[in-house]
Amino acid sequence: MRPAQQSKSEGGTRMTRPLSHLDILEAESIHIFREAAAQFRKPVLLYSIGKDSTVLLHLARKAFYPQKPPFPLLHVDTTWKFRDMITFRDRAVAKLGLDLIVHTNAEGVARGVDPVRFAPSLYTDVMKTQALKQALDLHGFDGAFGGARRDEEASRAKERVFSFRAPGHRWDPRKQRPEMWRLLNGRLGTGETARVFPLSNWTERDVWRYILREKLEVVPLYLAAERPTVLRDGQLLVLDDDRMPLRDGERAVTRRVRFRTLGCWPLTAAIESSADTLEAAVAETMTSATSERQGRLIDHDQAGAMERKKQEGYF
Amino acid sequence: MRATVLRKPRDAHADAVAVKASAAQTARAAVLRDLDGVVHILTCGSVDDGKSTLMGRLLWDAADLPEDTRANLVAQAGPGGQPDVSLLVDGLVAEREQGITIDIAWRYFDAQQRRYVIIDSPGHEQYTRNMASGASHADVAIMLVDARHGVKRQTRRHAAILDLVGIRRVILAVNKMDLVDWSEDRFRAIEADFKAVTARFGFIEAQALPVAAKSGDNVARRSVEMDWYGGPTLLDVLARVPSRGRAAGGAFRMPVQTVVRGETDFRGLAGTVTSGRVAVGTVVVDSASGRRATVKRIVTMDGDLDAAVSGQAIVLQLDHDIDVSRGAVLAGEENLPTMAHSLDARLVWLSNVAFDADHGVLLRTATDLVPLASITMRSRLNLETMAESTGTICEPNDIVLADLVPARPVALDRFVDNRDTGSFVLVDALTGDTLAGGVVSGLVGQALAAEAGQFVLTDAVLARGVCAGVAVGSPEFRRRADEVALILKAAGVVARLDGGGR
Repeated sequence: MRPAQQSKSEGGTRMTRPLSHLDILEAESIHIFREAAAQFRKPVLLYSIGKDSTVLLHLARKAFYPQKPPFPLLHVDTTWKFRDMITFRDRAVAKLGLDLIVHTNAEGVARGVDPVRFAPSLYTDVMKTQALKQALDLHGFDGAFGGARRDEEASRAKERVFSFRAPGHRWDPRKQRPEMWRLLNGRLGTGETARVFPLSNWTERDVWRYILREKLEVVPLYLAAERPTVLRDGQLLVLDDDRMPLRDGERAVTRRVRFRTLGCWPLTAAIESSADTLEAAVAETMTSATSERQGRLIDHDQAGAMERKKQEGYF
Repeated sequence: MRATVLRKPRDAHADAVAVKASAAQTARAAVLRDLDGVVHILTCGSVDDGKSTLMGRLLWDAADLPEDTRANLVAQAGPGGQPDVSLLVDGLVAEREQGITIDIAWRYFDAQQRRYVIIDSPGHEQYTRNMASGASHADVAIMLVDARHGVKRQTRRHAAILDLVGIRRVILAVNKMDLVDWSEDRFRAIEADFKAVTARFGFIEAQALPVAAKSGDNVARRSVEMDWYGGPTLLDVLARVPSRGRAAGGAFRMPVQTVVRGETDFRGLAGTVTSGRVAVGTVVVDSASGRRATVKRIVTMDGDLDAAVSGQAIVLQLDHDIDVSRGAVLAGEENLPTMAHSLDARLVWLSNVAFDADHGVLLRTATDLVPLASITMRSRLNLETMAESTGTICEPNDIVLADLVPARPVALDRFVDNRDTGSFVLVDALTGDTLAGGVVSGLVGQALAAEAGQFVLTDAVLARGVCAGVAVGSPEFRRRADEVALILKAAGVVARLDGGGR
């Protein structure tokens, strides 16, 4: 459904091409958005500001154009997101005239749960998993769009497009509904809610390809720039503010770095890179040697970490 | 006919300007450009046949895996060890511990400018439902057998499931050829058995290949051990499967998902074109009311389209309001879906709970949701013999033939004519659980407009009447059916025979 799919020959006859793989993925995602919006009583789009959320939001807009998406955005703010992310979030939402709900786990903040002194898994549980459950319960959302992809991690590879959560947001792999053909069954049992994954069949490369094709803006952190960094446990961390004290022997060094994935800054590793345009960064990512979750420190805890997190209700 | 994307010239011009690029950008564009399409591959077979190894091998040899994934496998193998490629298609922790695959897993890889999606499904009998649901998403299926054991009863059962959910292309990978000394005779014997099994189904392509997944022979690279084999490798066969979004054939169908509104009085019907083609100026009909209108605009956020084909998600603005909303199926004037009062269906029972006639059941079609007034289980299908046994019990993993009566007429096609508007799921009204997946094999109802006033005789109707007790499709069945049609004609009722038994 892109201009690039058509060219006009000299004679003026319209030359056409078949749908590309991105056209097919786009149409499938739009279909999912429409099915969920029609079937759930009170849907919400979980917006986490990163590249996947950017694509997700763009597809949501396409799905209901010329109408605005008929649901608000929800950002679970841990208070440790990069400042650039928050700036980007507020600008994007204002530009598109969308409703944004920001939720922070106030209890977690009161208890001083941070990613510097607490184990990443505990911090993530309190400030992300619990916070998300709180927000969904508080507003009574019954269907939450998320940007998860099946190619991200082994346990995600079996995830459904409509993923059901028992009361308490628990994910039970044996309770998931089979999905056949293009049919999506969103009828909820008592106390059930659903997560909806319109990007299920996208790969990381597709997300980048699509961002380029659609000329979407992304958080500048995805592009290389001189940033204050510290090398800790073999990972490059960017010091986004002064809340994380340096350990003995550590020192802040300005390096040219960028991110492949974005999260809470003390838990997100940067890579050294000189790719300072989107095209260069994407080209680098596409030919890169590693999978993207390398940059996420919470996933390295232990084998099957993501699966356990999911059962506990992590997005 | 090729699927096409038509756009207004102004957009094409704007794009041509934007496309001006430097040499460096052109080089990058080669890496970044859209792939030519998507092909979904179902893999079925049991663990013993080496399915995970075959899929892992395909990924290892043909896909551009991240280096850390490769490095991990090499590290796990230890010095001098061979990487266990089957770990590439590994899944949930619980399954890893059990050593079997119990759910469908999705994998993605790019090769030769196309996206391949591997849908890995369990092969064991008790997982018929997982296989059926996985197969419903696939364009081609790879069935796997061990060269030492050949075609088994299971292979026959798999073929029946694939056929049921609409797969048209199947590949038999005869694996572990190394263990039968790369014997051509052995392969040819299995190939002949396979042809005999598949001949009875509606496959348009059924190909057997001799492979050795462990060493990669004839997977992505030609085997040197089997020089007697001159056919394609597995990757070659997959490369010939047509992508989705290519075939624009079939009658136009667009199940309406939702209504979108815009400024002033804009009211658009949003949906995915599931079959055929629609263009500005096309007269579309709401199959429920018979009301018609002309397509005024095909709206997308990237600009209006002149036409749209199967697979595209669009918004239609009509020249006047015909009062349709979610659940309606828009069609072209010349070919409408049937407003079904009752239907014959084949069901795959997906639920853990056996069928209970006292439970409320809903019929979920493409975009409609209708309570069922009744479900009558007619017979169970034995997938190995394809014999039907009468009985009303329906348990998990069963394939059954059933008569369904919706509480109100619902727009449907026969599955063989139209996949998306000829399939449905049954939903437990109370829990919301998906109970069964189903395909429509016959419809009783009215097709408005084109078929108004015509009486449709389906196999189901006939089997309940004059053809009761006669095998569907037998010469006697056809003779009696023709007789009924003649009698009706003589009485002034226009009748049409409809059904596989003709």
